[in-house]
Parts: sequence; structure tokens; C-alpha cells
Amino acid sequence: MTTNKESAVEHKKCMLNRREFLLYSGASAAAVSTVTLFSGTAQAREARVVAYPRKLITRLSELQDNIPVDFKYPDDGKNSECMLVKMGGVEAGGGIGPQKDIVAFSYLCTHQGGPLQSTYKVTDDQRTLGQCPFHLSVYDLRRHGIIVSGQAYQSLPQVMLELDGDNIYAAGLMGLLFGRNQNLMEA
Amino acid sequence: MSTNYYLPEDQAPLPPKHAEVLTTCCDYCIVACAYKVYRWPIGSGNGGTKANENAFGIEFPSSPLEDWVAPAQHNVVMHKGIPHNVVITPNKEAITVNTNGDSSMRGGLIAQKCYNPKTPTRDRLTTPLVRMFGTLQPVPWDFALEIAAEVAKHVIAKHGANAYSMKTFSYQYIENTYAVTKFALRHINTASFTFHDTPSDVTSTPGFRDAGFDNFGPSYDDWASAETLMCCGTDPYETKTILFTQHIMKGIQAGMKVIMLNPRETAGVTYVKKMGGLHLDLYPGTDTVLLGAIARIVVENGWEDKEWLENWVNNKWESDSGFGQGTRNTPWQWRTTWGKFQTKGFDDYKKWVLSQPEYELEAAAELTGVDATKIKQAAEWIAKPKEDGTRVKASFGIEKGFYWSNNTGNTNAISSLATICGAGGREGRVVGRFGGHQRGGRRGGGLPRNKSPEKVPGRRRRALDTDRWLVSGHTRFAHVVGTTWIQSMSGSQGLQQKFQELVVNNPNQVRSYDKQEIIDSLKARADSGGMVVINQDIYLRNPIGAQFADIVFPAATWGEEDFMRANGERRLRLYQKFYDAPGDAKPDWWIIAQLAKKMGFDGFDWQNSNDVAEESSRFSRGGRKAYHMIKVYAHKHGHTLHEQLRLLGADGIQGPTFINDKGELKGTKRLHNTEMNPEMVKERYGENGPGAANMVNKKMTHFNSQTGKVNLQKHPWSLFSDFWTWLKPKEEELWFSNGRINEVWQSGFDDVQRRPYITQRWPENFLELHPDDAKKRGIESGDYVMMYSDRVAAHKDTILGVGGDDFQFSKLMENGHIELSKAAVTAVAIVTPHIKKGVMYAMFIDMRQPTNALSARVVDNISGNYNYKMGVAKVKKLGESQYKKEFRSMSFAPRNIA
Repeated sequence: MTTNKESAVEHKKCMLNRREFLLYSGASAAAVSTVTLFSGTAQAREARVVAYPRKLITRLSELQDNIPVDFKYPDDGKNSECMLVKMGGVEAGGGIGPQKDIVAFSYLCTHQGGPLQSTYKVTDDQRTLGQCPFHLSVYDLRRHGIIVSGQAYQSLPQVMLELDGDNIYAAGLMGLLFGRNQNLMEA
Repeated sequence: MSTNYYLPEDQAPLPPKHAEVLTTCCDYCIVACAYKVYRWPIGSGNGGTKANENAFGIEFPSSPLEDWVAPAQHNVVMHKGIPHNVVITPNKEAITVNTNGDSSMRGGLIAQKCYNPKTPTRDRLTTPLVRMFGTLQPVPWDFALEIAAEVAKHVIAKHGANAYSMKTFSYQYIENTYAVTKFALRHINTASFTFHDTPSDVTSTPGFRDAGFDNFGPSYDDWASAETLMCCGTDPYETKTILFTQHIMKGIQAGMKVIMLNPRETAGVTYVKKMGGLHLDLYPGTDTVLLGAIARIVVENGWEDKEWLENWVNNKWESDSGFGQGTRNTPWQWRTTWGKFQTKGFDDYKKWVLSQPEYELEAAAELTGVDATKIKQAAEWIAKPKEDGTRVKASFGIEKGFYWSNNTGNTNAISSLATICGAGGREGRVVGRFGGHQRGGRRGGGLPRNKSPEKVPGRRRRALDTDRWLVSGHTRFAHVVGTTWIQSMSGSQGLQQKFQELVVNNPNQVRSYDKQEIIDSLKARADSGGMVVINQDIYLRNPIGAQFADIVFPAATWGEEDFMRANGERRLRLYQKFYDAPGDAKPDWWIIAQLAKKMGFDGFDWQNSNDVAEESSRFSRGGRKAYHMIKVYAHKHGHTLHEQLRLLGADGIQGPTFINDKGELKGTKRLHNTEMNPEMVKERYGENGPGAANMVNKKMTHFNSQTGKVNLQKHPWSLFSDFWTWLKPKEEELWFSNGRINEVWQSGFDDVQRRPYITQRWPENFLELHPDDAKKRGIESGDYVMMYSDRVAAHKDTILGVGGDDFQFSKLMENGHIELSKAAVTAVAIVTPHIKKGVMYAMFIDMRQPTNALSARVVDNISGNYNYKMGVAKVKKLGESQYKKEFRSMSFAPRNIA
């Protein structure tokens, strides 16, 4: 980690790139900018500049297929439990690595904060988290954590990842963590 | 309209200490969870993360199950003309309905329902519209109302009251339904009247009514107190979530076994199976046979509840005693087709069940597609006495997946099965509907059934079928309140074609700026055999508003007016106004009142919604949600009815309501409460029983039958089997059923169309296909498919039945009353093992791909309801959809991952 990469300016660049990547991953990739596409609609907004930390999570060479790695992000505070998983060659939105199959998500159900630990499932070519032990929500890890079935108020927050050599870094979050009013809260 | 281009937000404001707090309930499913609205002016400062800095009084980050504000739970609205923040979250103080402050996804996102021009709600109707020169143009209220009133008066005078057809929601708040029914039934007195979900004004569950069961007798906690619960035709997790997560799930965790009858395995079914329950995955329309087979096993083994049958079921003489109006020629007799359903008590029923070849186990397993061992297992779970000789406590709940296929047969069968198992009004042994929409109906007039031209053989008039009446050209003025009419009915593409012919293709169109000339054109259209359409709604719906309406009235809705309503356990609450309705939109009761006054009717001089509620209360007496005594109590304490309900707060009160001799207001936990003892009676009514304005009837402690005991009825498959056999898939066809999906409520005008996250999840209608069926047709998840049929049956004529079987499907066909037409609906395929092989399933009324197009426009020959949940179609791949390879929206993961 370098101080340069943690700066807000550097980070904003990084955020927008990742947002575009997340939006246009897959077949419908298009070379237009976010702002142009959404101008004049409710969704038109600048990506918020938040200084997410860049945190080393694990190494590509250490990952085993379909065995989640637990970590905390964006800080070590409450509700920061996350998981990272290499999904056995199944490509996913926002996935990194040679097979675009490495993704990371919050472990807290966005319905009422239920713990999703130990609920990672492989079902044919689908990869999910859930049923949540509280109210049975299930999330689709191939599709940015969208709800498959359940009561969640939003997709499971997705941790944005970067691959640098063999190192995998967490570098941002899409969506608000359960229990927080903003992802980066003052201590 | 929202699109599926959606970026999640990563912050939300916390309500500050100075936020005002109002209570309300969710607008959507039957359960009606309690919510809190936090409202504070823009710019007045948001709450902080410390407990003493926010309105929740808790520290943030909050812990699981504590209050939290998801970004979609915040909105900005106008309140008294000033912009305010609102945060709408489940009420953590609720102790009855959504205990623990639980919420469904639909209710959890209800803040997005509020009108905010910066969101996809920007197309709310804000002004009356009149179609001139082919365009719906904004006009003042008086202009629109005067045209509507003049044309309406003319149609009634020249073509009769029945030419004025009213199609209205039955549920969208007591004040509105009272005003609408007072206007249509009491004043216009038209027989061409019905609610949003049926072509004629008839009971939804004929078998329950004739057995004596109220649809909504049980309390929510009753559904958790059985040892075995049988759920027919619904996964409550998907469609009445909190009833499942806060009540049924708790029962399961305490050892209750659940049996689900459903061709799909959705999340609730998956959970039930994981916890040791049973899934009976039957083919559409075969419930009567499945239940018949179970009943047969019960009586063959002598597992019936003899004591219950002795005390609470009508014997030969009691069955024949009519409704106290003599034994013959009563509504029951008319419906029951002279003895086809009536029994002489249990022994007669037993003899009958054992004589039905369809109900033999192997035959039933074959026809229903359910494994014989599972059928036996179900019979054991609900009826086999335990080793010590005591009985299993079993409860029985149904919903539309069940009663909207073989409506009369299925509801008769479940009533009889429940009864022989000893279920009725006692703890752990209840019978009822789980419910669909909330219970907001209050009639201000009765249906003039004797003015209906329809007659069924051997019986008196049947409620007029408004679809058939329209198709046969008798409807000259269609007044549509808060429903799509077309997509929500059956064989809907044929119905739409008829609207087109009567309204748009008629030469008399408005081509003038002059009010009188506009009125004259519309009168000329009605006189020439065409039809004029007026529509009240919150959005311009397509096609009823956008393509057909001559006049559109903008309605105000949830949160924009004080309204009252009950949920599926008869619990009455106030839904408070908390922001300004958009533009000039007005509540439906107000619109009806203005139209009524312009038509010269008296009794519509209400000043506010409380006035309407108070006028309606006396008509509620004797009903399941009787609220008259709340008004009496309120007035005694110097309050209005609405104020009193507001004071009753998140938990409200369960109807029927009473005032006891100590002057206390009392509600009712359970109807048909056969276990009420003298102490309970004293507590509710007082030392000397009910007095003053209290009204108590049979349903409190007995059943709604001629004697107060249950009518045990036959449920012959033969009355339905000709239709089922004709319909069942031929050659390449598959069964097609449709219904709700957890993430979307009703026709999706709020969620799937105007909530970006839900639009992202369900950007189009989908079709669930079993992998074997898909493979055979070369279909993969994400492919565009077309479901199509060239044999969508429609009963086209309004006829008088003479012979006994004139309304039987095979006879209608033989006599040329059935027309077969084509229909086609596209969808995105989801290939998944959670749907039964041979069956397909889609959302029921997606506006772009309305799947009711594929179900028959032929009603149940006894009840008059459509069998919406049964259709057949062929399916083929059209090509690939955008969703197949991108990762942004939809999901092809199965719904049965545990």
C-alpha cells in the first residue's frame, strides 16, 4: 500500500473506473461514461468520493475454489465482516482474476443484519449466499449480490477488489453496510 | 417508470431527535405490518450516530434486528407545501403483527412509493384528463366531472342502470370502498358491478361459505399453534411474508410440521422441507383429487375426529334445515345444485368418499402427479391419532393458487377434510384463508342480484358476469376504479380486443373543444352500441387509462389521506396522512362524492375521510371487522373514529369490536371460537352479556351455517373434470400457472415499475421451466421465449340456464357458447428445478407481458369465479435476451436454495 494510492484524488479515479467496470461487465459493455448515460434521470449522480482504504486481503495463489476467506472491511469496527471467494471458474459481475471469478461481499444481510457466514452455496453454475438464518434471504454472488429470493432492502454490498501481482486488495464498497448510515463512520 | 440501470447508494440520513413520528401500516399484502414514518424539514439537520442524536435513540452502527435506515427507506416529500425528509421503517414497537419490527422487502421499501418528482414516481397523475382529438389533456375538476356526470345520467336513463358497469378495487381503504359502493349499488343500483379480482360479485371461497367458515377467522398466532399445518396453493413466505417469518416459522421451530400443496418449491417450501415438512407438488387444478385421496385414507382408517363430528357437524336433519327459511329454495340449495354437495352427515360423506374412484390412492397419485407415499404421509400427519390415543392438532389454510383453480370443488374439499380432522374454531385447529390484499371493503349498498339477467339452471339469478356482459355489447359506460380491469381478468387479450372495438374503433370520438359537443359525442358513442370509459387511478395505466379512458381522475392514495383498513386477522388500524398528494390528486371517496352530487344524488356531503368512515360504521355491524363500537367508544371520549384508531396505534384492535359493561373497548381474537367459556364471555361483553349498541351474532362462537354447525359437503371431481380433461396439455403443450412473486406486489405499479432495485431484479416477466422441459425445447436460462396457445377458451354469451348441465363446460362447448382464440406472451426463461416437470410459471400481471392472456375466460360453473391459475401453452425459444450474459440484472439462481 502506498500513500499515493490512498489519496482521495487517486481514489476517485479508481472508484469511477470500478463503477464503470461493474456496470458494463459482461456482454453489454459500452464505451460511454456513467454521467452521459444517466443524465436527466433520478440515477444521475457523480460517484461519491469516499476515501476507502486499500487493504490486502489474500493472495491469488492461496485461494482454493469455493472456499470463502473471511476478512473485515472497510475497518475493524462493527458490521465490517466480509467474505471473499474464488467461485471455481464461474464468472461474476465485478469478478477479478484470470477467470473473473473472485468476488467479495459483506456478510451482513441487508434486511435486518442477519449473519450469512457458512451459507455460501454452489448450485450448478450458480453461486449464492443464504438462506439468511433470520428471514431466509438469498443473494446471487454472480450478479453483484442481487436478491434471489427474500426480504432485503438492497443488494448485498459488494467489496471492490484489485489484483496486483498475486495480491488481492479490497478497495471500495458498492452499497451501504447494514447498521451504518455511511460505510466510513467516524470512530 | 424506472429502468434496471441502478447504482446502489452508500449512505442514508438518520432521523434527528426533532423528527415527527407518525404510525402507519404497509399498503401492500394482507399482513399489514406496522411502520413508523419519521418526518423532518429539509435543512433542519439530520440525526447523528449517538443514541442521543437520533430519533431511534440507539447507537450506530446498529446491531442486527435493531433499527437501521437503508438508503431506499428515505425519501423527500412535500408536507404542507414544504419539502420534508421522510424515513419509513418497520415499527420495532409492534407486538402483534410484525413482531420484532420485521418487514418484507415490499414494505421495507415503501418509502419509495411516495411521490417525488426526482424519482420514477414522477408520472403520478396530478390533474384530471379528458381525451380530446385523441389525446388525454389536463383539465380542471369541474370540466371533467360535468362531462362524466352528463354522459352517465344519459346512459342510465336511456339504456338502464345495468349499462353502467362499475369495476372497482375491493380493498383500497374502507372510506373509498364505502363511497364507491354507495354510489354504484345504492344510488345507480346497477347489477353490472364487481371487484378487481372476479368478473362477478360472488364469494371467493364458496366451499368455506357453505360449510360455515369465515375466510379470516383465525388470528396470526393461531397459525403457529398447530402440530400440523396444511398450506394449500401458496407459499406464505413469498406472498404474506411476515405471517411466515414471525408466526409460522416460529411454530415450525417449536415442532409444527407443515404440508405444502404447490407445484413450485420456493423459499418457504424449501425451509419447510429442511425442517422435516412435506411438499405435495401437484399439477394445476388437481387439489380436489389430492384432498379427496387424503380424506379417503382418513375415513378408511377411522382416523376422523368422532367427538368433533358428533358435536359440531350437521347431521341429516340439521343439514336439511336451510337457513331458517325452509329447507328448499335457499341460496345454499341454489349453489349446491340440488343435492350434489349436500350430505346427511358424516356417515353419508364417508360412503360417498369411498365410492369415488378418483380418490383411490393410486388413481389420485397418477392424476395429481404426487407420489402415493407422500399422500399417505400427509393423511397420517393431519389425522392419525397418537399412540396415547390423543389427536394431532391440525390447521388448514388456503389461498389463490388453490381456490382459483376448481374454485368450488377445492374449497368444498378442504372444508370437509379440515372438518373430519376436527379443525374449526379452536386453538391449534383453525381453518381460513391466508389472504391476498388487505381487507378494506365496506359496502354502502347491496348488489341488486335480481336485476341480473343471468340465471343458472334450477336456481335463481346469479350475479352478473361483467366481462361477458361487456363482450356481448351491453356495457355502455365503464367506470373503472383502481384496477386494470383487462390484464387482471382471464383470457385477457380477447377482452382487450373487445374494449378496442367498443371504445376506440367506434366512430363517435371527441373532436371538439366545446364541452357540450364533447358530451354529445360520448352520448352518441354509447347510443350507437359503443362504450365510454372513465378511470380513477394514481398512475395512467395501460391500456385501461392510456388507450381507452375518455376521462381520467387522479387519485390520492396511501400516506396522502387518513384511511382505515383491516388485515388478515381482522386487525383495524389507521393509515395516517403524512404528506401532500401530488398536484390536484384527490382521494377516491372525494371523486365519487363530486360525481354523485353532479348526478343529483344526495348523501355525499362529506368534508373529510373521517366523515365517510363514521357514516359507514353502522353498516359494519355483524361483519368480521365490525368497527361501529370503536366509533361509539370514540364519541363517548370526545374523539373521532379516526382519532381513536390513531390512539390504538401500531397494534390497533381486532374486529368485531365490543364495549363491555365496564366501558372498555374489546376486540376479537378468533371467530367461530368454540372454546369460549363464561369468563371469556364476561370479559368481552360484561356480566349480563352484550348490551346497548353491541351486536353479537352466530359467528363469534359458532359457524356461519343454518344451525351454527359445519355443513360437511361432497366435492365431486365430475363437475370439473370435463374442463380439466379438455384443458390438460396436449402434444407439445405444458401446464401454465401464474401468481405473485415475493419481490413484487400485485400488478407492480409501485415496485417493479418504479423501484429501480426491483426493476433490476425483475426487468421483465419471467417463465420458470423445469430443466427437462427446457432441454427438450432447446431453451436455456436467459433466453427469450414465447408462450402461445391457439385454444384459449372464452365463454362469450350471457345465457339463461334451463337444463341441469347447461353451464357445464362440455355442454357450453357443445352448444357453441365457447370461442377459442389465440394468445401469446413473451418472457425471459429461468430454467430451474424448483418448478414441477410439465408445469410453467410466470408473474400474473406484468403489464407488458400479461400472462392471464393464457387462462380461460370461463368461470367456475357453480361460483362464477375464474380459474386463473390454470392454463396450458406451448413454449418456444425466440432468441437470447440481454440478461443471459450480463451480470447487472435478473438472477437465474433457483429459489429453493436452503
